[in-house]
Amino acid sequence: MRPLRIGLTLRILGVLVVLGVAVFPLYWMIVTALSSNSDLFAAKARLVPDFSHFGVFIDALAEGKALGWLRNSLVIAVGTTVLSIGLGIPLGYALSRFSFWGKAVVTVLLLFTQMLPEALMVVPLFSLFRRFGLLDSLGGLILVNSAFVLPIVALILKGAIDGIPRALEESARVDGARPLTVLTRINVPLIAPSIAATAVIAFFHAWNEYVFAVTFIFTPGKQPASVGIANFIGELGTPIQTVMAVAFMFTLPAVVFYLFAQRHVVAGMTAGAVKG
Amino acid sequence: MTVQKQQRTSGSRTETRRRGSPRGSKWTPYLFLAPAAVFILVFQVVPLVQEIFLSFTRTSLLNPTHSTWVGLDNFSHIFGDKDFRRTLLTTFIYVIVCVVGAVGSGLAVALLLNKGFRGRGWARALVTIPWAAPGIAVALIATWMLNPDYGIVNRFLDAVGLGVPGGAILDSPTYALPAILATTIWQLFPFTSVVLLSALQSVPSDLTEAATVDGAGRWWTFRAVTWQVIKPTIGLLAILMTIWSLRRFELIWLMTKGGPVGATETLVIDLYSQAFDSKQLGSAAAIGMVGVVVSLIVVAGSRFVARAAEREAR
Repeated sequence: MRPLRIGLTLRILGVLVVLGVAVFPLYWMIVTALSSNSDLFAAKARLVPDFSHFGVFIDALAEGKALGWLRNSLVIAVGTTVLSIGLGIPLGYALSRFSFWGKAVVTVLLLFTQMLPEALMVVPLFSLFRRFGLLDSLGGLILVNSAFVLPIVALILKGAIDGIPRALEESARVDGARPLTVLTRINVPLIAPSIAATAVIAFFHAWNEYVFAVTFIFTPGKQPASVGIANFIGELGTPIQTVMAVAFMFTLPAVVFYLFAQRHVVAGMTAGAVKG
Repeated sequence: MTVQKQQRTSGSRTETRRRGSPRGSKWTPYLFLAPAAVFILVFQVVPLVQEIFLSFTRTSLLNPTHSTWVGLDNFSHIFGDKDFRRTLLTTFIYVIVCVVGAVGSGLAVALLLNKGFRGRGWARALVTIPWAAPGIAVALIATWMLNPDYGIVNRFLDAVGLGVPGGAILDSPTYALPAILATTIWQLFPFTSVVLLSALQSVPSDLTEAATVDGAGRWWTFRAVTWQVIKPTIGLLAILMTIWSLRRFELIWLMTKGGPVGATETLVIDLYSQAFDSKQLGSAAAIGMVGVVVSLIVVAGSRFVARAAEREAR
């Protein structure tokens, strides 16, 4: 039984190393946020958080613009989630249940648009937004973020609807239900787990988005947290503890939600991104 | 209500059932997809067409409504430019190392987590963290960890005697790209490993057991059984990583802005600074088109290879 023991020990060691690598940067964010200045700039780094400085989190929210940033991010993310799922469910349903002229074009388009970098699209979208008066508004960001996350949302939901037996719909149709009623009463409840997963994807797509936000928003009070935090990089005025505290509060929701939804999210991302 | 006779069954379904149309007219599918289609048309297709048009013009950011048609000048100009050829090379290095690094490390981690042990659920969840963390936060913490004076990375490297002189990793033409690559792969490996882990779990255990009973070594079992099952997943991940890496912007932009002296400049970074620093919308669009075409070639090429392999297998 000896070789087995050695194998197991090596495996556990390997897992611990991987976990250390995975977790360390976030851990370091917390340690930095909770350090005193003398700890930060001492010759020897302090490796464990000093929880007596916990107030930095409250101060960062109370004093600064951080609370406003996070609020703007929340508005953009909720709006994007609602809009992209609202558009994605009927699109996914049409792709799953109907055969129609132009279906192949739509599918190819959904796959192709996922190759377009935001940085490429930001220039023409800027002129479009100027024409429609959408610059410097959270609503404009909701629209553009929804458009960019919609393909993956729709493809994931199409895959989920593919998995529902048609027989369930047929019986409702025999009772005379209209297509829209069938969709909302039969399909939507059955694909609820997939909707939840796409909600996580859409929400954090918008929560993390940077290029459009930094280009389209001019008023500091309308900036989302991604822009606010990015502006900290290379800036010297704000104490690094405050910076890390804000960044941690920005990161935590994403990590928590992904932990809960990871199985669905990962399955959806691979299925939606390449199939078809 | 019209009973539709859609007998155009797709493919070779033996079952006879009414395909498609959960009743309603033939316009029903269009009603369902119209709102989304309008959306994608307005925010993706129209801007893309504009961008393609821009790539054949000389247009300034300061006067974007005034374009001069220059044909293929932008393209011939960028391909004649030494800096652009370097950007292309950097992009290819960045993409290839990202793909190999993310898929390779993902496979290693997946194999590590594939055997049952206590706390595996936790390990699996914790490994997801880098992928879940927002790119902005990753760029911020990476920049801080790489800080020349107080960053933990330099303190560690100095302690083990591998310190970079001056410690300014992100300001060094030699070390900036490796640092960006390490950060990127750190963020990607959770995704590849979770995907590969679920592929590994679909490897039939009686097959691997049978191979072991027949006296096959571990390496042989891996190649003959496991690798065959996960090969399509590896291919899929490689394509995804390629597309994502060709698009990646904020991590590189926030850590180095493509510098020092262009050492970390990928196509997307180049196009953004062309548009917003040099104010040349035309050549920015041309650079962007090169990136999109490369993506398309990779996807189309990989499909072609996959089809050929399928045919061969038959």
